[in-house]
Amino acid sequence: MLKSKFKVQSSKFKVRELISGLKLGAWNVRLFLLFAFCLFAVGCRYDMQDQPRYKAHKKSDFFADGKAMRELPEGTVPRGFLREDKAFYQGKTEGGQNATATAPNPAATPTMDSSGNTLVTDFTGLVSEFPLPVTEDLINRGEQRYNVFCIVCHGPVGNGDGMIVRRGFSKPPTYNDDRLRNAPVGHFYNVITNGQGKMNSYAAMVPPADRWAIVAYIRALQISQNPNGNMQMNSANPSNANAPTPIMNNANPVTTNNANVSGGAR
Amino acid sequence: MAQVFHRAANNVAKISIVVAVVLAATAGFVYTQLARSSYLTGQHVEKQQPVQFSHKHHSGDDGIDCRYCHTAVETSYSAGIPPTQTCMNCHSQIWSDSPYLEPVRASWRENKPIEWERVHDLPEYAYFNHSIHIAKGVGCSTCHGQIDNMPAVWQEHTLQMEWCLQCHREPEKYIRPKSEIYNVQWNDSELSDEERLQLKADYKIRSQEMLTSCSTCHR
Ligand code: HEC
Ligand code: HEC
Ligand code: HEC
Ligand code: HEC
Ligand code: HEC
Ligand code: HEC
Repeated sequence: MLKSKFKVQSSKFKVRELISGLKLGAWNVRLFLLFAFCLFAVGCRYDMQDQPRYKAHKKSDFFADGKAMRELPEGTVPRGFLREDKAFYQGKTEGGQNATATAPNPAATPTMDSSGNTLVTDFTGLVSEFPLPVTEDLINRGEQRYNVFCIVCHGPVGNGDGMIVRRGFSKPPTYNDDRLRNAPVGHFYNVITNGQGKMNSYAAMVPPADRWAIVAYIRALQISQNPNGNMQMNSANPSNANAPTPIMNNANPVTTNNANVSGGAR
Repeated sequence: MAQVFHRAANNVAKISIVVAVVLAATAGFVYTQLARSSYLTGQHVEKQQPVQFSHKHHSGDDGIDCRYCHTAVETSYSAGIPPTQTCMNCHSQIWSDSPYLEPVRASWRENKPIEWERVHDLPEYAYFNHSIHIAKGVGCSTCHGQIDNMPAVWQEHTLQMEWCLQCHREPEKYIRPKSEIYNVQWNDSELSDEERLQLKADYKIRSQEMLTSCSTCHR
């Protein structure tokens, strides 16, 4: 410390002598030193810019897979993710298909229609009533989510004529025929959760409460395309205030069960 | 004692003061311009990505909503970059043997993430959060420009403090209805001044003092 101070001072003196030799004012000396200091300070900022902590998606030199965002160790359940309510989280009845969350729908009897879609006709073990209250808010939320995640393939009213299908993706079956009108709500929930045939699972992108909102909206679409049929939307617990509900507007993001994955602050 | 300097030296001394002032001012000006230059801020610079992913195709031509890929934008500080699985939702079938997509398929096969180059990168002493801006009616295009016209993403603004502050001082000039947040074509002149103030009240946007206080962004 002392030494470096001394060094600075001595070089300062030299500079001063040099400059005063030229008979410039003391102010110019100060200006010159200020300028030199600024040049020096420019080099200082980078450790504040890149601090030794992780932000989302950063690369990690510490973990073997190179990802700063960690995946769950196998066999663990994070707080708030103990999904015991089978009807709500799997769309299945108690004692219904005992499929695990990742297995494809075992009820999918592999009959194919002309465009290669899997024609599911056996819906046993799937819930036929919504496990949460069906409200206008739920359907509005569902409309918004449907338009984000499903419309690109299934089209605006569910006829399977979305933009991506027009660009060559295989055409999904229409929602507006008797087979899917009579399918229980659990079927739609199950397809979103586990995927089916050529459609991938959307479980990673759409949290459970939002999946039910989408299902409610699909039912509303089916009713709108078939106004004379007598379809109904039944809820198994119309007034259960404890049921996890999706949040209806952007101001209050969906957090019921996901607070710990998105993490508002860092 | 004989005069060391000629009388003209007086003038030289005076002129040198003027010259020094002019030089200092020029240096200051050059510095401010340099600091705002695209060389230092990265504004308008396209980055080479491992996959030639084009927002022009996906958002502009195919009309995929931003949230299909940037799923976390409403709920988290980070908008999120889609995992390879998201790409495979579609590209397992379409363009499934295009050479442009080979890095995506490789990433899927080997279960290794694609290493995208960051385009926007704030220094880590500044805190930014997407969800609050989306919740209070600031649209993507206000900050990111016409993404749906960009074959490769570039940074539309400097992302310097003065840019953040210019909006935090008068947010009513930049907000829009919630339904238009993801509409990249939105034109700011579609709202009158009264409608803007009304929106600002509806969103309960906090005071200028709070939004420009240092600890809002440096925490
Ligand atoms: C990338 C295009 C694509 C997207 C996006 C997509 N789907 Fe599908 N979907 C398909 C295809 C293709 C099928 C037919 C799959 C098969 O049987 O091989 C299908 C089938 C289905 C079925 C089964 C119908 C039946 O025959 O039983 C349901 C239900 C469904 N989708 C719901 C949804 C919902 C809800 C969303 C939004 C969360 C969605 N899909 C998003 C392409 C898509
Ligand atoms: C099909 C998926 C997809 C859609 C839809 C999409 N993006 Fe992206 N976006 C990506 C990918 C992948 C990247 C990373 C590669 C890159 O920077 O080009 C990215 C990068 C970005 C970046 C730059 C991130 C950085 O590195 O700083 C911005 C900003 C962005 N997207 C905004 C948007 C907006 C706004 C929309 C809606 C109009 C949108 N995106 C729609 C996939 C998508
Ligand atoms: C108020 C201005 C603002 C708005 C509005 C905004 N962004 Fe950003 N965005 C930023 C800034 C600043 C960064 C850089 C963040 C960083 O470096 O930490 C960023 C980064 C990103 C990234 C890179 C990944 C990340 O989160 O760091 C993506 C993707 C992105 N924005 C997408 C979007 C989308 C989609 C929308 C609209 C829903 C949007 N942004 C709205 C300012 C904004
Ligand atoms: C919802 C469906 C969908 C998703 C998701 C999607 N794409 Fe695409 N992609 C398309 C379509 C459709 C085209 C054809 C573009 C066109 O002609 O409009 C395309 C074209 C492309 C091309 C150009 C291929 C070529 O040979 O010219 C690339 C590269 C690409 N996508 C990369 C990606 C990446 C990377 C992701 C993941 C972040 C992704 N896509 C996600 C639908 C999708
Ligand atoms: C186009 C307008 C706009 C721009 C540009 C903008 N903001 Fe904001 N910002 C807002 C609005 C509106 C709010 C919401 C204020 C409120 O909650 O009342 C906000 C809120 C915030 C908050 C949350 C404050 C809190 O207490 O939770 C932070 C942090 C923030 N902005 C940081 C930034 C940073 C950093 C930048 C520059 C990279 C930036 N903002 C650029 C409009 C903007
Ligand atoms: C709206 C958000 C916001 C507020 C409020 C804010 N800052 Fe900043 N500040 C930033 C951002 C973003 C940067 C990074 C700018 C860059 O990348 O050059 C920054 C950078 C800085 C820097 C470093 C400048 C540089 O070029 O290295 C200083 C010093 C600073 N801020 C001080 C302050 C002080 C003092 C206040 C309160 C009067 C304040 N800031 C309030 C967002 C903010």
